[in-house]
Amino acid sequence: MELLKYIIDKIIYGGGVVFDLAKWLIVFFVFVLIINTFFISLFFVDGLSMEPNLHNKEAILWDKNAYHIQTPRRFDVVAVNAPSDPTKKKYVKRVIGLPGDFIEVKGGKVYLNSKQLDEEYLPEGLETPFDGSWNLTDDQYFVMGDNRPNSNDSRAFGPVERRFVLGKGIAIIFPRFRLIKDI
Amino acid sequence: MRKVREGELAATRRDIYKRTTVGVYWRKLIFMGGLFALVFFGLTSVQYFKADTISNDLGSSGTGGNSDLSVKIVDMKINLNGTIYIDGKKSKDRVVPVGDVEEIRIPVIDNIDYYLKSVTINVELPKEIAYSVGHEQILMHSVGSPMTYRVVDKSHVVFVATDIAPMATITPVITMPKGTINPPLIVKILNYLQEFKGSVWVAVGVSLPTLSLIFMFFLLSFQMKRQRVVVPANELTAPPLALPPALVGALYHQNVRAREIAATLIDLALRKNIYIMDRERDFAFVKNRFDSRLLSFEKILLSKIFKDNIFSNREEIERRINNHLYSRKISLVSAGIYGLASRLGYFKVDPQKSHLKYWVVGVFGFFVGVAGFVVTLRLLPDPAYLSFFWLGMAASCIVIMIVARRIPIRTELGQQALGDWLAFRNFLSSSEKIPFSFSGQETFQKYLAYSIVLDCEVSWARRFSEHDFEVPQWYMTSESGMGLQEFCLSLYPIVSYVGRSMAAIREPGFK
Repeated sequence: MELLKYIIDKIIYGGGVVFDLAKWLIVFFVFVLIINTFFISLFFVDGLSMEPNLHNKEAILWDKNAYHIQTPRRFDVVAVNAPSDPTKKKYVKRVIGLPGDFIEVKGGKVYLNSKQLDEEYLPEGLETPFDGSWNLTDDQYFVMGDNRPNSNDSRAFGPVERRFVLGKGIAIIFPRFRLIKDI
Repeated sequence: MRKVREGELAATRRDIYKRTTVGVYWRKLIFMGGLFALVFFGLTSVQYFKADTISNDLGSSGTGGNSDLSVKIVDMKINLNGTIYIDGKKSKDRVVPVGDVEEIRIPVIDNIDYYLKSVTINVELPKEIAYSVGHEQILMHSVGSPMTYRVVDKSHVVFVATDIAPMATITPVITMPKGTINPPLIVKILNYLQEFKGSVWVAVGVSLPTLSLIFMFFLLSFQMKRQRVVVPANELTAPPLALPPALVGALYHQNVRAREIAATLIDLALRKNIYIMDRERDFAFVKNRFDSRLLSFEKILLSKIFKDNIFSNREEIERRINNHLYSRKISLVSAGIYGLASRLGYFKVDPQKSHLKYWVVGVFGFFVGVAGFVVTLRLLPDPAYLSFFWLGMAASCIVIMIVARRIPIRTELGQQALGDWLAFRNFLSSSEKIPFSFSGQETFQKYLAYSIVLDCEVSWARRFSEHDFEVPQWYMTSESGMGLQEFCLSLYPIVSYVGRSMAAIREPGFK
């Protein structure tokens, strides 16, 4: 009984010390977690498929709430869960096709509902390889990387369901600040 | 006199006292350690989003000069409780509800670095539903042929892919009718809770601390009503009892804080146990005599200030405070003051003990809430709105801790005594100037410590603004011609600084 009381006293004392020292740190930590989980988060680009607009190792801020009130729009830069492994892999891509669209890749060009798509963000002369065509259902988006010859995207894993679209890129914050809407 | 906010002990004449407390090295160390841990957590939680690139092997279908050809057979078993075993090993993935179906989406082959001639994935379903399952295959990076799908019998299906390149990813997707899986109760509860909208959980997160606040407010009001201290209209021109100022402060605040320590220092100086030295950009305490009438908490406080010498300047005091993360001596000073007040019958129980139970509940609940928040974020898929429940719980506990400190626990005797002291406070804080008398100076000094613990030291000093002022003998300063205002602006920061520094190192949870 004495031992139990001694242990409880020690726990109370230790808990008090930890709480006293860490309370503001914990509050700060929780605040950062809330922002990171529900509002704005950070990711680093890992790979070359969004070149020349997003570069390897660039730090990107993305808005997790962007698509709670509106749907993804064409040419948005989005974070998506990889349909092949949604729990572990995430990609950053550009939305090309919206629900209901018919997307075709042929002869190095992208066609949207049988009309050639004007893609100003691509370097001049860049072709889109790997021909194919996709009819998007009312819950599917077609996403592609800007580095068309070297991007693993909807041409490989197919259209992406709405539930896999995580959020919208806002800005590149490292190494040089740029708003993503400008790229 | 220059206007100084009432109840604000520290004036701001000197930059050296602007810091709230002295820097405690250990605290800094731990703080930095915590910050380091935070940055570490932050970095590890930052996600790397692949702008994934296509394998150069795209289009090559099979042997490609590599002789390491093999055949792979994968046995996937889906259990009735939603767990999945692949080749006898339990997978971290589970069957998840998606709209009207239950879905399995697991990459079976992913960048394995060698060629495979074929992959056969045998799937054992949890029920005889093979003819009603949906199927899809996600094949990436050089899979030679479309994957084939075949129903073997009512509870077995097979996927087969051929000519698989080293970089390939093969993900079979199986959708089963809703209700196929009967997950454990905890998973069912979590799935059910996750179905609520985010706004519901945000509302819960806000409601919990609000309800706690309302409850604690009513509890506080009820207790205050029961233990109402009648604030007298009259003034007592002398202390109702010869009590140490710190004890009066404990009775008034139900807490031992910086003011009680600061007032004790002034009281000790008044009783000529110490001298306070004001030096340019520095201060010092000088021990005068060891009075046998010193109370035990006063002796401990003095032993914290002076080690073996009779002189202790700011640097030495700071060093003595810096030596510890928390000070047992300061805890004993507080305990001594509480103990005296309790022995005099002013409190039902020791305030420290009484508040401790709320504090323990609060700290425990706070940590549980934070842990629940972190675990929920880790375990549940984004956005884990359920985590707001835990946040609400942690916030409620903070509310409980803050409000509980104010719950009155004075006895009837304590309330009566406090009423008398409040009458004395009326006298100290009166706006009327005290008419000049030769004993005015002495009166000012005598009640100065009481005015500090009763939060009215500025009003008290203001009552003497028309008196000639002579610096007390216990206060040594190099400045000549010091008036009352200069004296207050010189003394208050010193005692306030030492008081706050010492109060800050009281051990939390000390009994």
